[in-house]
Amino acid sequence: MRMRSLLMIIFLFLLGQNLFAQDEAQRFNAMYPGITFPRFARLIESQSDYHFYFLEKDIADIQVNISASDNTLPQMLQAIFEGTELKFSIDQEKRVFVSKNQALSVSLRPDFFTFAQEGDGDDGLGRQKDIAREFSRNKLYVIGSPSTKKEAVLRGKITGLDTGDPVFGAVIFERINYTRAIANEEGEYAITLPVGRHTLFIQNLGGFIEQRQISLQGDGLLDISIEENIISLDEVTISSEKMTNIARPEMGVQSLNIQSMRKLPAVLGEVDVIRSILTLPGVQTVGEASVGFNVRGGAADQNLILMNHATIYNPSHLFGLFSAFNPDMVESVELYKAGIPVQYGGRLSSVLEVNSKYGNPDKIQVAGGIGLMTSRLTVEGPIGENTTFMIGGRTTYSDWILDLLEENTDFNDARASFYDFNFNISHQLNEKNIIRLNTYTSRDNFRFDRDTTFLYENRNINLSWTHYLNEKTEAELVVGRDMYSFDIEGRDNPSNAYDFGYNIQQDFAKINFNYEYSDQHKLNFGVHSIRYRLQPGRLSPSGESSIVMEEAVNQEQALETSFFIGDNFEIDDRLTVNYGLRWAIYNYLGPNTIREYQDGLPISAPNLIAERNFDGGSIINTYHGPEFRLSARYILDNISSIKAGYNTGRQFIHLITNNAAIAPTDIWKLSDPNINPQWGDQLSIGYYRNLKIDKYEFSVEAYHRNLRNLIDFRSGATLILNNAVEQDVLRTDGRAYGAEFLLKKNTGKLNGWVSYTYSRSLLRTADDELAEKINGGNWYPSNFDQPHNAVLVGNYEWSKRFSTSINANYSTGRPITLPTAQFNYGGNERVYFSDRNAYRIPDYFRIDLSVNLEGNHKVRKLAHSSWSVGVYNLLGRRNPYSVYFTPVNGVLEGFQLSIFAQPIPFITYNFRI
Amino acid sequence: MRVNNILYRYCLFSLLIVLGCRDPFEPEIVSQDLALLVVEGYIEIDGDSEIILSRTSTVRDTSNVRMVTGARVYVSPESGNSFWDFDEAEDLNGHYSFTGNFEANQNYYLNILLPNGQMYQSELLTPVITPEIEELGWLRDDGGVEIFVSTQGDTDAKYFLWSFNEDWIFFPGVSSFLIYEDGGVRARTEEERVDRCWDATRQPRIVLQNSARFEGNLIVERELVRIPPLSEKLQRRYSIEVIQRAIDQDAFDFWEILRKNSDDIGGIFSPLPSLIGGNIHSIEGNSEENVIGHISMGRSARKRIYIDGTDVFPWRVEIPEYEFCNLSQDTIAVNLASSRFRSGLEIPAREVFQDFFLIGYRSGSRACVDCTLRGSNVRPDFWED
Repeated sequence: MRMRSLLMIIFLFLLGQNLFAQDEAQRFNAMYPGITFPRFARLIESQSDYHFYFLEKDIADIQVNISASDNTLPQMLQAIFEGTELKFSIDQEKRVFVSKNQALSVSLRPDFFTFAQEGDGDDGLGRQKDIAREFSRNKLYVIGSPSTKKEAVLRGKITGLDTGDPVFGAVIFERINYTRAIANEEGEYAITLPVGRHTLFIQNLGGFIEQRQISLQGDGLLDISIEENIISLDEVTISSEKMTNIARPEMGVQSLNIQSMRKLPAVLGEVDVIRSILTLPGVQTVGEASVGFNVRGGAADQNLILMNHATIYNPSHLFGLFSAFNPDMVESVELYKAGIPVQYGGRLSSVLEVNSKYGNPDKIQVAGGIGLMTSRLTVEGPIGENTTFMIGGRTTYSDWILDLLEENTDFNDARASFYDFNFNISHQLNEKNIIRLNTYTSRDNFRFDRDTTFLYENRNINLSWTHYLNEKTEAELVVGRDMYSFDIEGRDNPSNAYDFGYNIQQDFAKINFNYEYSDQHKLNFGVHSIRYRLQPGRLSPSGESSIVMEEAVNQEQALETSFFIGDNFEIDDRLTVNYGLRWAIYNYLGPNTIREYQDGLPISAPNLIAERNFDGGSIINTYHGPEFRLSARYILDNISSIKAGYNTGRQFIHLITNNAAIAPTDIWKLSDPNINPQWGDQLSIGYYRNLKIDKYEFSVEAYHRNLRNLIDFRSGATLILNNAVEQDVLRTDGRAYGAEFLLKKNTGKLNGWVSYTYSRSLLRTADDELAEKINGGNWYPSNFDQPHNAVLVGNYEWSKRFSTSINANYSTGRPITLPTAQFNYGGNERVYFSDRNAYRIPDYFRIDLSVNLEGNHKVRKLAHSSWSVGVYNLLGRRNPYSVYFTPVNGVLEGFQLSIFAQPIPFITYNFRI
Repeated sequence: MRVNNILYRYCLFSLLIVLGCRDPFEPEIVSQDLALLVVEGYIEIDGDSEIILSRTSTVRDTSNVRMVTGARVYVSPESGNSFWDFDEAEDLNGHYSFTGNFEANQNYYLNILLPNGQMYQSELLTPVITPEIEELGWLRDDGGVEIFVSTQGDTDAKYFLWSFNEDWIFFPGVSSFLIYEDGGVRARTEEERVDRCWDATRQPRIVLQNSARFEGNLIVERELVRIPPLSEKLQRRYSIEVIQRAIDQDAFDFWEILRKNSDDIGGIFSPLPSLIGGNIHSIEGNSEENVIGHISMGRSARKRIYIDGTDVFPWRVEIPEYEFCNLSQDTIAVNLASSRFRSGLEIPAREVFQDFFLIGYRSGSRACVDCTLRGSNVRPDFWED
C-alpha cells in the first residue's frame, strides 16, 4: 500500500470506525498458497473488517504459504512473520499495523490523561500560544530531560489558532513508523515515541497539516495551536461506498449525491437534479427544453419520479428549463434503470428516487442562493429533542426584469414565473417509532403573448410511519395524496375566451416490511395501493360573452393494488441473488361510458357497436398479472464482479402525446377496456471492475427490452378533448437494446466520469392493430432513438475552496420525419412527409464550464458562502431542438430551432448561516 | 441608464432561451422525385366544378408545378353506367372542368384515367349541402382590418372550410393619362389607362372550423383574413368573395393534417407531422401508390362584400415599389419627346404649358407610371363601383 493513500485511509477510518465494531475473534478457513503479503492482506480485507498498514519495502520478501483452518488473524500473522524481524499489532478498530523490529503500541496508558492534567513533568518550552506559527513550525523543540529510557511519552493539548477551543479528533503522527495519536474531547493527546529527533505532523480532519520539529529526550509536554478548518462532513465519502459498484446485487442503479451534482456546470447556476442524471449512461433527452428524460429507450412517461414517496408528474419548471427539485432540499438521487426494487412498480423504464432532507438535528440553519433568474431559501433545524424540520422555497423574479423592458422590446407580453415549496418534518416518537411528514408544491405560470397563459401545478403530501418491530424487522407505512393539474387560459377575444385543463389525483397507501430473516436472507414485502382519479380534459367558457361550449372528457377512476415480496439471498461470499415477485391488480372503475367495437375490425367510429354506462363504484374491467424481478451478482475477485438480471413490469397510466418531449399540453390516460396496460421486460448483463485500489470504477452493462401495448398516434390524430382516444391511437410494440460503458474516477484532485452508450429504441405497429400500419408495419425508430451518446464530466479541485468543472455531451440527433416532396394545394406550397422518423436532426454537442468558489471557513464568520460562475454551451453551438420546413416567398425553406443557441453565462451566490 | 442597458441585454439572453433561435437547415434529403399524383377540387352539384391534377416535385425544386395534362376525368354514380366527363381547359394545363347538375341525395365516384393508362378512383362521395353565410363582416383595429365570417352549422354540416378571392384597386406612384405613340404624345383611351389597376389573390388560404365546438353549432366572427396597416388593398376599394363549404369529417381531417403539416410545425409544442393521403386511390397497377388529395362534393355558399378606403379613413398606404416615385423635374421639350420616350423606359405624365403653348412634358419611369406591371387595368366582370 502506498504511503500517500495511507493518510487518507487513516482519516476515512476515523470517521468510519464505528461502522467496524465487530466481534473480536473472527476466524478464517482458507488456503493461502505462496502469495505475496499485499495479496494476502487484500484477501483478508475482503473477507473481514481488518485493514492492513505496512510499508512495501518491509514485506517485500515475505511469501505467505499457510493453510488456515478456523484460525484467527493473529495466529496466522504469527505464523507468517515467524523468523523475520517483522512485528504486528492490532488495535480496537481492527487496524493491523505491521512494522519492523518493534510492534507499535496501539493503546494509551490507562492513567494517561489524569497524568497530563496534573501538569506534572517537564515542560519543553512552555506554552506556545504566543509564538508565531512559522517560527513554531521549524523551530526545534527540545523536550524532556535526558534519561536512559529508549522511549518517551509526549503529551499536550491541541487548540484552535483562532478560537482557542480544544480540537477534538486532531491526529498527531510522525512519518517514519507512522506512530500516531488522536486528541480527545479536551484536545489532549499522548504519543509514545523513541527518544531522538522527530518531525511531528498534526492534522485536523481534512484541514491543513501543521508540523513541529522535536528532539525528544524524555517524557514531556507540547501544546500546539492549529488552524481550524470547517469541512462539512458531506464532502467525505465513506470508503465502504466504493465497493458498492461491485458488491451491490442490483444492476443498472446509478446514485448521485448532491455534492456530485453541485460540481456539474448548471444552466443559470441552478443545481439541477434532472440535468445531472442526464449525464449518466443510458439516460437521454430529446431536447434541452424538454421535461422528460428517456431511460434505455423508454418513453418519458415510463419513469416513476418519486420524492420522499410522492409521485411527481411534472418534474420541471418553465417547460424544462429548470428541474422542479430545490437542490438545497435534495440529499441524493437514485436512478434504477434495470433492477427496479420490488417495492416499486407501475412504470416500465425506471424509477428516479429523489431523497430530500429532514433537517439538521443540531442547530437552526439557513441556506440559500441568489441567481440571475431564481432565488432559493431553506431553513432547517431541530424543534425540541426529537423533531427536526426543513422548509425550502424557490421562486423566479424574471417578471420584473421583463417589466423594465416593456418599452424596448416586442416581448413585453411574455411572462414566465414559477415557485416551489417543500416542508418536511421528522419526529422520533421513541426508539422504535419515527413519523415523517413530506409536502411539496410547485406552480408554473407562463405565456408567450397576452392571449394565452399556461399554468401547471404539482401538489403532494404524505405521512410516513417507520416502526422497528424488533431488531430484525422494520416496517414503514405511508399514506398520501399526489396531485397534478394543468390549465390553459385563452383570452383571445371575449366571445372565444376559454379555460382548458386537466388534472390527476392519486391517493395511495403502502406498507413495506424489511425483515432480516437470517444473515443470508433479507426479505422485503408489502402492499401498495393507488386510487387514481383523472379528469383528462375539460374546456369551459370564461366570462359572460363567451360562446365556447362546455366540453369535458369523462372522468376516469381506477384502483391499482400490488402485492410484492422479494428476497436478497446471499448464497455465499461471492454469489448473491435478489429475486422477487410483484402482483399488480388493476380495476378500472365507474362511473364511465365505455365504447364497444366490433371484433376483428379497426377501433374507429364506424365500427362502434355499443356504448355502455357504468355506475360509480362499479368495476368496469380488471387487468392483473405478475411482475418478476431477478438479479444476481457474482464476485469474481476482490475488484471485479459480474451481474445479470431479468425483470418485467406493467404500466396502467399512459401519457398521450404526439410531441417528442413531454409538453405541458399532453394528457394522461388510464388503461380501459380499449387501451391495454403497457407491458415490458428487460434482460441485462454487466461487468464491474475497480482499478488502482478503487480509484477508478469501470462498468459495462448491456440490455435488451421488449415492450408491448405502447401507444403511438394515428396520422392527424386529435388527442386533446377526445372522449374516444382509442380511435386516434395505435397499439404499438417496442424493442430497445444497447450497451453502456462507464469509467469513473472517484478520488483525487481530478475526478469525474466518462460514459458511452450505444442504444436503439424501435417501434412497430402491433400485428393485431388493423386501423393503420405506420411505415408499412415495419420497425421504425422511436422519437428518442439516439444510438450514440457520450458524456464527459470532469472536476478539478485546485484547492478546497476553488474548483473547476467541465461537462461535455454528445449524442446522435433524434429521429424526425422530413419532407420529401412538395405540392400545391389549397393555394399554398404544401409538404409531403417521409415515412415516420426516417431521418435525423443534426447531432448534439455541448460543453459547459463552471468555476466554484467557496468562501473561507472561519468559524466566527456570519455566513458561509460560495459562488458559482460559469458558461453553459461554451462553444455556442446551435444544437437544433427541432427542424421544420415552411414556404418562404414561395420556396420551401428548412429551419432549425435551437433553444440554448448561445453561450449562456451564469452566476449564483449561495450562502449558509 | 446603464443598468437598464445591462438588464436589457440579459433579458434578450433569457428571452432567447425562451424564444429560441432559428437558423436555416439544409439536410441532404433524398433528391428522389416521388412524382405522386395530386388531385384537388370540389364537385358542385349545381354549377361549375373543377378538378386540378398535378404531381409532387422534390423539396428544393423551384420550377413551376408540374400539371398533368391529357387525362380523362369523369364522375360516375354509385350504381349505373352513366358518367359525366370533365373537359380540360385549353389555357390552363391540368384544369378539368364540368358544368351541370348532380342529385343531392345520390352518391358518386370521381374517376381519373391518366394518359399512361393508370386508373384512379375516389372513395364514395356524398354531397353535403352548405348552409348560407350568415354574416361576412369586418372590423377595424390597431392591427388593421379583420374580415370575419359567421355561420350556423347543423348536424349534417358540422365542419366548415372557407376559401376566398380578393380583388382591389391600386394606383401607381405617378399618374399619367398620356401615351407616346408613333413619334407623338397623345391622351390615353379608357383601354390604355395605366393610372388605375386591379390586383387580386385567388384562394390564398384555407380556413377550417368545427362548429360542433360551439353552442348550437354557431360559428361567430371566425377570422378569415387580416389586412395589415399600410396595405394597398384599402387604398380605394377592396372586394372579397368568400366560398363556404360544409365537408364531412374525413375531408376535415385531411385539411387539418394539411394545415398542421404546413402551418403548425417546428414550434416547441408542435405535433409531429403526419403522412397525408386522401380519398383517391389507385385501382389498377400499383395499388400501394399514395395519391394526395381529398375531393368533396356538395353545394357551396358564396358571399361578396366591398370595403372602400373611405370606410376605414384614415388609411395610409405604402407601396414599396412606388416609394421613390416622382415626376421628373426637367421638362422634356416637344421636339425631344421622340428620343426620350421611344425606349418605353420613360413615360410622359404631364403636359407643360407656357402662355397656353405646349412646350414639353414632365415624365416618370415606367415602373412608377405603368400600373399594369403589377396588376390588370381591366375591370373584373363582377366589379361594382
